[in-house]
Amino acid sequence: MIAVRSALILTLGCIATMAAVGRPVSYVGGWTVIEESDRQSSSALVHYTPAPSLSLGIKTEINRDSDFAIHSAHPTFLAKRWFGADYQGNLYFHGGLGIASGINDNPGSDQMAIYGGVMADWETRSLFVGYRNRYLEAGDYASQFMQAFRTGFAPYVGASGDLHTWLMLEIDHRPSDPDSVTATPLVRFFKGPLLVEAGYNLTVNQPLFNFTYRF
Amino acid sequence: MNLLIKTMVMITALCLCLFTNAQEYDHEDHATHDMHEHHDHQEADSGQAADAGHGATDGPILTRTQDIDSALAQGGEPIVADVLGVVCDFCALAMNKIFSKREEVAAIYVDLDTKALNLVLVPGASMSDQTIADLAVQAGYRIADVRRGDEALGTAT
Repeated sequence: MIAVRSALILTLGCIATMAAVGRPVSYVGGWTVIEESDRQSSSALVHYTPAPSLSLGIKTEINRDSDFAIHSAHPTFLAKRWFGADYQGNLYFHGGLGIASGINDNPGSDQMAIYGGVMADWETRSLFVGYRNRYLEAGDYASQFMQAFRTGFAPYVGASGDLHTWLMLEIDHRPSDPDSVTATPLVRFFKGPLLVEAGYNLTVNQPLFNFTYRF
Repeated sequence: MNLLIKTMVMITALCLCLFTNAQEYDHEDHATHDMHEHHDHQEADSGQAADAGHGATDGPILTRTQDIDSALAQGGEPIVADVLGVVCDFCALAMNKIFSKREEVAAIYVDLDTKALNLVLVPGASMSDQTIADLAVQAGYRIADVRRGDEALGTAT
């Protein structure tokens, strides 16, 4: 069964690769560093955008709950961007293929890890809604699905180069966790190439901290 | 139940992958449409910037910054391009990075209020509408219309 799931995800990744035409994830030639830390894991991703709809990255993810780490190649595809004078909508496919290893006191051996999912968002200068999901298959370490919905608003509209502030709420759903649905209010600060998010998961009392830097 | 969720996610993702095959056509089709429909967009959305406004044209005029004014004083051609989808500073950063690399560009400012890319070229240099549109695609956005010279400055009669 695991083999079938892995094959399906791999197939999804291959199809997504072939469909990678269109718009950039970042601008062509741009590098991006993304750090994310939520109630379950912390991760760091560095990616490069070689083409208007594709970024290729390397990601390290540490699952603090289950004491394993994943080191993976991580492509992201901008499958669709909706444009308007006042809004932008995006549909992405993301995935990864790498190695999962035990950390801390986890004696597990190295095993293949594969994951994939969808991200979508729609935003104006003062409103934001977004959704993302991921299915992870990491051998004996994990077989996890997660999805998260986020909405937010900007209390003021900043001009180019100003400090932009957003107030957001994220609801995440992880069926394999005892607390399967949790809520995290957060604040997002955005200035030039730097985006920082800080929040607190009210359900499981865990902090959230993310940042993105583009250069 | 768990397997059902996973299956639904995979099927959804596969369908969306196939859906994206039509993306290029869709973009080209709408780009043309947007060029024609530009005036409607801008009439509803421009005119918020303190240093920008409307001239004799329907779109926003050149937003004046120190760099823009300096480049204008050198005699460079002013260009205002209406951009679709610029809603955040990452958008402005992308446009800045892509256009600043061009030797034809003397000054640039992406105005989120007017949703416009403001350029002043190096004196004697030129940049076609198509080049501007292509560079915007590299940044991840789409140009709806381009105005130059007096039209960009709002002094056209």
